[in-house]
Amino acid sequence: MGAGATMNVLATASIAVQRRLGRQRIRKFLLGSIPFIVMISAWHMNTVFEWLPPVFIPAIGEVWDAFFILQEDCVGFGAALMLDNSCLMSTHILSSLGRVILAAVIGLPFGIAFGILAGMSRPISKILEPIGIFANSISGIAWIPLAIVWFGVGWMTTLFIMLNTIFWLMFFNSMLGVRGVARVYEQSVLTMGGSRLDVILHVYLPGAMPSIISGMRMSMGFGWRALIAAEMIGGDSGLGFMIFSSAEEFKIEEVFLGVIIISIIFLATDHYLLKPLEKWTIHRWGLVWKPT
Amino acid sequence: MPAKLVVEGLTHHYPDEYTGESVHALEKINLEVQEGELVTVVGPSGCGKSTLLNILAGLLPYREGVASVDGIQISGPGSDRGVVFQEHAILPWRSVAKNIGHGLELKGMVKEEREARVQDFVELVGLSGFEDKYPHELSGGMKQRCAVARTLCADPVIMLMDEPFAAVDAQTRITLQEELNRIAIATKKTIMFITHAVDEAAFLGDRCFVFSARPGRLKAIVDINIARERRIWADMNADDEFVRARDEILRLVREEVSVAVEE
Repeated sequence: MGAGATMNVLATASIAVQRRLGRQRIRKFLLGSIPFIVMISAWHMNTVFEWLPPVFIPAIGEVWDAFFILQEDCVGFGAALMLDNSCLMSTHILSSLGRVILAAVIGLPFGIAFGILAGMSRPISKILEPIGIFANSISGIAWIPLAIVWFGVGWMTTLFIMLNTIFWLMFFNSMLGVRGVARVYEQSVLTMGGSRLDVILHVYLPGAMPSIISGMRMSMGFGWRALIAAEMIGGDSGLGFMIFSSAEEFKIEEVFLGVIIISIIFLATDHYLLKPLEKWTIHRWGLVWKPT
Repeated sequence: MPAKLVVEGLTHHYPDEYTGESVHALEKINLEVQEGELVTVVGPSGCGKSTLLNILAGLLPYREGVASVDGIQISGPGSDRGVVFQEHAILPWRSVAKNIGHGLELKGMVKEEREARVQDFVELVGLSGFEDKYPHELSGGMKQRCAVARTLCADPVIMLMDEPFAAVDAQTRITLQEELNRIAIATKKTIMFITHAVDEAAFLGDRCFVFSARPGRLKAIVDINIARERRIWADMNADDEFVRARDEILRLVREEVSVAVEE
């Protein structure tokens, strides 16, 4: 078997993969991974050539091992779910995730609802806008000291900080989204006998969807950041807490691990929740400009 | 037989959006539209014809005069008056079928019943095969057909159309006009059609209301006695009645335009 035959087999395999996954998707994935590949290579080369000592930058293997070392004492799935202190890794991940989900479940719907109301009604927006600008100016983390005084260290403080960030960002984005919806859509529902509620559900909510989705992006992004900061100072568990306490103990590999897990979770949320939502709504409705 | 739409002594002023000055849009309008009739309204721009339509649609509150449909005074938007707007007012987030069935959905009609009716109207406006498409996938003409079907499907007492074909290209406009004529025959719907195009007004109307320049007054009513079945654009230039009606409407409108210019 010569080199030609090997090339043929490779080409056939490549075409099969491209057919199955789609050429554009593979291209996008490969291009998107270039910076990561460069970064990881540089990281590994540092370990090989020791440009910077391992106290500053640990080996990739150490970071990988840290994940399992942290989870070592864990006895069974149940203990992990109960956020038992023996299961350090899963407890940190699950408490951060739990806080994010809880804050999103409360903050996003309320932010959207009040944003839509404020977008529809001048009086409501006049009441809520100044307080919103006030709340936004004191960026999420500036509340941490006060929140610790009020709620102590733990869940309430982190939740409070996150809600403060998520709610107001969502509020402003939804409000602006509703204001940008053409009046003729509202009129076309009213003249068919639709009620105010029909207008909200059939016009404002879908019409403001481009802003609502970018609002979700922003509030989840800033929400995560606020969460990590809140956990560092006012938390007793979570990835932020883990990063901070590990740094104090000079466990640099755990710091790296925490940062990497945070970014993986965030990338996954964007890819598996927000992107599909975007595709299913505003792309399908032709509300965004799409390159052809 | 009592008229479907009655307007008596309707006068309207509104404050200008920028200067705040009071604009006298309509002055003592009296008109009636009979059941099954298609009336067209023409006039120079700014003659208040869109104001009239917004008042009839219930989107604009009025104080002086009376406007009623089926004897019920207009005091807000309602499903008895369907509107086809100037822009493509079909909802971008609803498919063609869901746009057309929207009025029935708002009335609370169950899905199975709704779907059968929607299908009738999809066929009536020639959108078969496009039921699941979204508005951004349609051409301008198809969007406006969808808008007409959306309004008709809710079965209003009267359909108000606000320059619905103004934004489409000339070829499509001719087709849409002939289709509206066909729909008027098929549904016997009472229609008020506002336009600034004189030939459109003469082609579509059983009667044409000509409005004067601001303040809008009902200046003249031109009767157009052409059987609906005979209204095909290819024959119109040889149709004496059409030519007469069109020329008369044109003359009436041009008087107003020159008045507006002199002012």
